[in-house]
Amino acid sequence: MLSPFNRTWAITRKEFWHILHDPRSLMIVFMLPVIQLIMFGYALNFEIQNVALAVINYDHSHYSTELIDHFRGSRFFSLFFPDVLPSQINQLFLERKARAVLIVPDDFGENLRQGRSVAVQLLIDSADPNAAQHIRNYVATTVQLFNLNQKGAVQLPFDVRTTIWFNPELKSAYFFVPGLLALILVMISALLTSVAIAREKESGTLEQLLVSPVRRYEIILGKVIPYIALAFLDALLILFIGVVLFHVPFRGDLLVLLFLTLLYILAALSLGIMISTIAPTQQVAMMMAQSSTLLPTLFLSGFIFPLESLPRILQYISYVVPARYYLPVVRGVMLKGNTLGDLIIPAAFLFTLTLLLLIIAFRRFKMGLG
Amino acid sequence: MQAILALMRKEFLHVARTREMLMLLLALPLIQLIVLGYAITTEVKHLKLVVLDLDNSSMSRQLVQAFQHTDRFDFKGYLSDEAAVGNYLRQWKAQVAIVIPPQFHQDVRRGKMPAIQLIVDGVDGNAAGIAQGYAAGIIQKVMGDVALDLPWVLKQKRVSQTGQVVLLDRMWYNLNLDNAFFMIPGLVVVLLTIVPMMLTAMSLVREKELGTLEQLMVTPLGKHELLLGKILPFLLLTFLEMGGILAIGQWIFHVPMHGSYTLLALFTFIYLFTTLGLGMFISTITTTQQQAMFASWFVMVFAILMSGFFIPIENMPPVLQQLTYLNPMRYIMSATRDIFQKGSSLVYLSGDFLRLLIFGVIIFTAGIVKFHKRLD
Amino acid sequence: MHGNTPIVETHQLTRKFGNFVAVEGITFSVKPGEIVGFLGANGAGKTTLIRMLCGLLVPTSGTARVAGYDVAHNPEEVKYRIGYMSQKFSLYEDLTVEENIELFAGLYRLKAQQVTRKKEWLFQQYLLRDFARTLTRDLPLGLKQRLALGTALLHEPPVIFLDEPTSGVDPRFRRAFWDNIHALAREGKTIFVTTHFMEEAEYCHRILVMHAGKAIALDSPETLKRRYQKSTMQELFIHLVEQQLQEVS
Repeated sequence: MLSPFNRTWAITRKEFWHILHDPRSLMIVFMLPVIQLIMFGYALNFEIQNVALAVINYDHSHYSTELIDHFRGSRFFSLFFPDVLPSQINQLFLERKARAVLIVPDDFGENLRQGRSVAVQLLIDSADPNAAQHIRNYVATTVQLFNLNQKGAVQLPFDVRTTIWFNPELKSAYFFVPGLLALILVMISALLTSVAIAREKESGTLEQLLVSPVRRYEIILGKVIPYIALAFLDALLILFIGVVLFHVPFRGDLLVLLFLTLLYILAALSLGIMISTIAPTQQVAMMMAQSSTLLPTLFLSGFIFPLESLPRILQYISYVVPARYYLPVVRGVMLKGNTLGDLIIPAAFLFTLTLLLLIIAFRRFKMGLG
Repeated sequence: MQAILALMRKEFLHVARTREMLMLLLALPLIQLIVLGYAITTEVKHLKLVVLDLDNSSMSRQLVQAFQHTDRFDFKGYLSDEAAVGNYLRQWKAQVAIVIPPQFHQDVRRGKMPAIQLIVDGVDGNAAGIAQGYAAGIIQKVMGDVALDLPWVLKQKRVSQTGQVVLLDRMWYNLNLDNAFFMIPGLVVVLLTIVPMMLTAMSLVREKELGTLEQLMVTPLGKHELLLGKILPFLLLTFLEMGGILAIGQWIFHVPMHGSYTLLALFTFIYLFTTLGLGMFISTITTTQQQAMFASWFVMVFAILMSGFFIPIENMPPVLQQLTYLNPMRYIMSATRDIFQKGSSLVYLSGDFLRLLIFGVIIFTAGIVKFHKRLD
Repeated sequence: MHGNTPIVETHQLTRKFGNFVAVEGITFSVKPGEIVGFLGANGAGKTTLIRMLCGLLVPTSGTARVAGYDVAHNPEEVKYRIGYMSQKFSLYEDLTVEENIELFAGLYRLKAQQVTRKKEWLFQQYLLRDFARTLTRDLPLGLKQRLALGTALLHEPPVIFLDEPTSGVDPRFRRAFWDNIHALAREGKTIFVTTHFMEEAEYCHRILVMHAGKAIALDSPETLKRRYQKSTMQELFIHLVEQQLQEVS
């Protein structure tokens, strides 16, 4: 017919039309990230609070009362004093009445007065190992505080002052916004494109397109452009909410972020295209897209678990997870005020990965559509 | 009955014929489980550490050596000034920095209690907290060692003072604090939620999309037979899947099961009413497979977030904690974990059981009622 | 043999979707052994009408009785007695011919012996034996059509509804198809066919011409051609529609 531009635009327009006529999907594409962000932002807290601590106190001196007072009034613990025998402690845990039990022996006060050390026992429901460690640390700190407040307590040789940079209050929103951004973008881009192409395959219209004068690259381009726009809009939406609602700072350059975001979206889209060349039906495309994006982005990108803590094999796999490079970019630009220069390494990797994925995707698409 | 079997046969044939589907359905969750099992660990290691030592004494070096001797931190070198510290942290070259002030060892000897600075990159809040904990532990130990030959400390000890309280902690249940023991039962629940819900929804909607649903509706097939015929295959597949997960949990991750498998099966069965019911319900409010998939995903994300799978419910603000009471996944999550790790029995889990039963009945009924054997 | 009591009767059958009236005031009566064609453009209401008669859609007003049962009150009874072939043929593409037959036989609750017998009959009558193990999606369209018709007949229903059964099918197969239909009618089965192929209307005993949800004619093709003095169905149809449009304006 006319120029490549016109043909591509015709396909792009059709795809846009298709998207707009599926308001339910659209709604989910925009609403889901927003709601997720809001919930994660408010729900997530790294600090434990209101941990049910059962105290069994066999001592009746003012020392034990003082120790217990150190735990009272703290938002970390919610104290209660059950009347149980040691043999019944297991029941406390089974009934979920207590998360930890502190046992003060009857010679507590006596020993302390005489200048001797005495032990208190802490039993922790460690079914959740993470929480258990936090509980142990808090109790230990509280006990330490008690020790320091005693008469003639040994002064420490030196002190430690901790400062946390970039997120001094350890606000969970600062942690989640970048992560969610990476996750949502990759899922939408990969998922929607793979399904869009698979759907055409299933309904036979792809064949129709292939026999028309439209070139293959025009088909891909036409199909992919609307989703780039969609993903971008979503990114802006998430950033907006993060900054406006959760006051996540934006200390760096917006353009740098937008540019690298575009690269990231392209990487995800390439992944989607590759999936669509393998998957025979929409259902399969969806499942493949979901499993290749959700898990790696959540666990192998450094979002929740630091990359250094992954076992060797998984670390190697993470090299091909685009989010691994995108995450430091978002965190860097928003929280550290990084410039493109600071981010040259992740940016370079992201660029290379995106290029590689695009080439593979095009090759596969050219060779045939399954 | 015959009609239901005919439908089930069709569904199994369909799954078997789509090889990729089969692989995805069965193999993928298992692979994901293995990957996750290995990835989920709070054993953070190789945190990049730099030191600004303005004191340069044997005492300051003693402190730094304590950090070098652990694989939790990777010592990257000494820096020359404060600006360098800022740059390293900003440019992702270090995650932790220690600044030892000038005159450090002299002040310590004189009992002036100088302060060293610990700077942590807070961009990853999770890692930051962990790094802080580790560093504190190491510093604590060094403090103890240093205190041993400080003259003023020894003098203090001779003065009368109150005794010191020592904390003896003992872990009840998960003695080695193995994360897998906590997460894998949780994953079982997550899979029990995703697989039936999404597959049922998509399968029902697929028939709608293809037009074969109409063909089924025109037969004397009863609504209940149609639904059962669709659901039972996925029920069976889910149990199969669960078997695979439990096997992997045992053999690869050595997750012990202290409770009864029968009880677990019972809870699973009741919970499936909820997830299958949701799948049915979703199929009635969506028209394409894509929508069905998104809707399932939507429900799933919320259910997981509010179930205590990875964020403890106690950590949430009170409003959200209240909301979790409406989430059936919350109950199966805590019940499953208690069965595995505490060997809990129905006596203690009756509350969870009842609630799951009620939710199951309500949601399943709602799903069936909403599903009409008509086109309007 | 062929009785005289009507096997399908409708009275002022109407179906609305919100404000849109898809089918309005259709009244007719059909005796066993008749082939009735629903003729009309796309959107005229043919498919909606058939769906109501099958018990798939509840009428907004009016009544319809099929094989002795009211479609609104006893749809399940109606379904035992009808066969339906939809526009898309609605077979399971990823099942083999044999599996599709066995599926529908199971759904209609045929006993094991019956299933074998009917399967044999289908293979023979419709020349599908060589394709028993072929996946339905690999069948040529003409054979798919035959399979779809065959599965609709497994339970020997007295009334059969065929929605655009010959769309996309090549003329050779169409001819054979209509031969099958006529054979069924001679056996006493009542058949409703929707089509927008004018020539096919000639094969029916009577045709119901629809336009915008209303019935604008109901009679045998010859009678209608004579009445309006048209020699082809095409001309007849155009005339009827134009007449209707004039009446409305």
